[in-house]
Amino acid sequence: MIAALVMGATVIFSQTAYAASCCGGGSASSLVLPKFSKAMVDVSFDVERYDGFWNGQGKYTEDPPDSKLSQYRLNMGYAHRLASRWQASVTLPYVWNDNRYSGIDSQTDGIGDATVNLWYEAFDAIKCVWKVKSVADLAPATYLGTSLTLPSGVSPYDDVQNSFDITGRGFYRLDANLLLDKTIYPWNATVALSYGKYLERPVNREYGKYVEPYDKRLGDRQLATISGGYTQFLEDMDTITYTLAYAHLEEDKGKINGVTDTTTGMMKRSLSATFAYATMDRDWVLKLTINHTFKRDGYGENFPATDIITLGGSHVLR
Amino acid sequence: MSSVKYLVAILLLGLAGCQSDLAPSGEDKRPAVQTGIIGNQVGQIAPDFTLESTLNTFHTLSSEYGTHDAVVLYFTMWCPVCDSHMSHLRATYVPKYPNVQFFIVDYVNATVANARTAQISNGYGNMTVLADVNQSVLNLYDGTMGTTVVVDRFGAVQMNQDYSDGSKLGKVLESLP
Repeated sequence: MIAALVMGATVIFSQTAYAASCCGGGSASSLVLPKFSKAMVDVSFDVERYDGFWNGQGKYTEDPPDSKLSQYRLNMGYAHRLASRWQASVTLPYVWNDNRYSGIDSQTDGIGDATVNLWYEAFDAIKCVWKVKSVADLAPATYLGTSLTLPSGVSPYDDVQNSFDITGRGFYRLDANLLLDKTIYPWNATVALSYGKYLERPVNREYGKYVEPYDKRLGDRQLATISGGYTQFLEDMDTITYTLAYAHLEEDKGKINGVTDTTTGMMKRSLSATFAYATMDRDWVLKLTINHTFKRDGYGENFPATDIITLGGSHVLR
Repeated sequence: MSSVKYLVAILLLGLAGCQSDLAPSGEDKRPAVQTGIIGNQVGQIAPDFTLESTLNTFHTLSSEYGTHDAVVLYFTMWCPVCDSHMSHLRATYVPKYPNVQFFIVDYVNATVANARTAQISNGYGNMTVLADVNQSVLNLYDGTMGTTVVVDRFGAVQMNQDYSDGSKLGKVLESLP
């Protein structure tokens, strides 16, 4: 149900446990290739449990009795260095919807919405330091990026039977991204900001039924994430990084034929904890992320409340 | 770089075979409908049914449109989008059309009692909720989450599509025969 209908939304909004940071390992919330490395493969698996939702006024509401709603996602990512300061990446999720109500069971699956990212690194040297000896040592690694989300998933505008089949939103979206990442061992912090614009598209079908064509555009999307972490060095110089992150996500109201659709728009706040194990050379990183939303009034609007457990791994190619 | 080319090629091939959303169409592809026969398409005669409400009263469609200007069915599974639609419906159209019978149709709960619990926890105690416990009416109208059906006082289907922003429902109610 909720799992099915906001599928696309959650696929896009979920925070995958990506590695790494500018110096490898770390806790970056985007698929970012460490400096001086050629490529990276990243695979993660999300288990998302739905537990009620916030209505348009921010009031938390429980799901119907005897319902159990879940979504599972296998996220495949690949990042490649294009030049010393440029890198590109692509991510593609495969989505399983599992919705159980007292009156309906539904299990569907399919490809989700893919994302292509391009990042510019506004620095040449690694910005991770052990000790601050000058003001320059405080400078963070700054990444400027853009992302294009492709509507490769199954949306309500495809040839689908019902809302349970949905794995994507059906819209192209272009994001501008800023990522600041600073490590002063053993501490690290990141700030990630993203502003996205959906492209307007024509719609002539809803849930398999052809309708009078109209133009639709989803509202602009803003995501801000801050995180702080601590890296523990093991005897063999492998590391475990513990990270706490807070994310605030908003999407404005959309438009249909140029008129504001007052039934749309959303907001969600979430907290996540990540445990990342990295080998000494930072070539292999294993991550576990637990993302939690507070099931109380005011922590979201017009969006499902979920908890997500993500297990992932990445391998850096030098 | 060859590995990148292979990856991009595989990705494009995979996606190209996927969904029409990559190249969306605005072409009007609504099929011609044979009107005047029983069916769930606009212009057809609405299939009749009887459902129990969460207050344990029974409602028959033909009786309802026979005594109202129209009947509106909204199919819900008590989700955020459903709530946005129902909230808009309740605030915008229910007070404006007092002689239209508005029904919320719950098709995800297996019992009337569960449907009542969902209705109350979602704050729709003041609306009439029909419990479609075996999805018979959902299937009859080929509905899903958000499907909105309008049946006029002559029993003809005037609308059967997603609620979306509610503007289509407004136009249909405004021009009821």
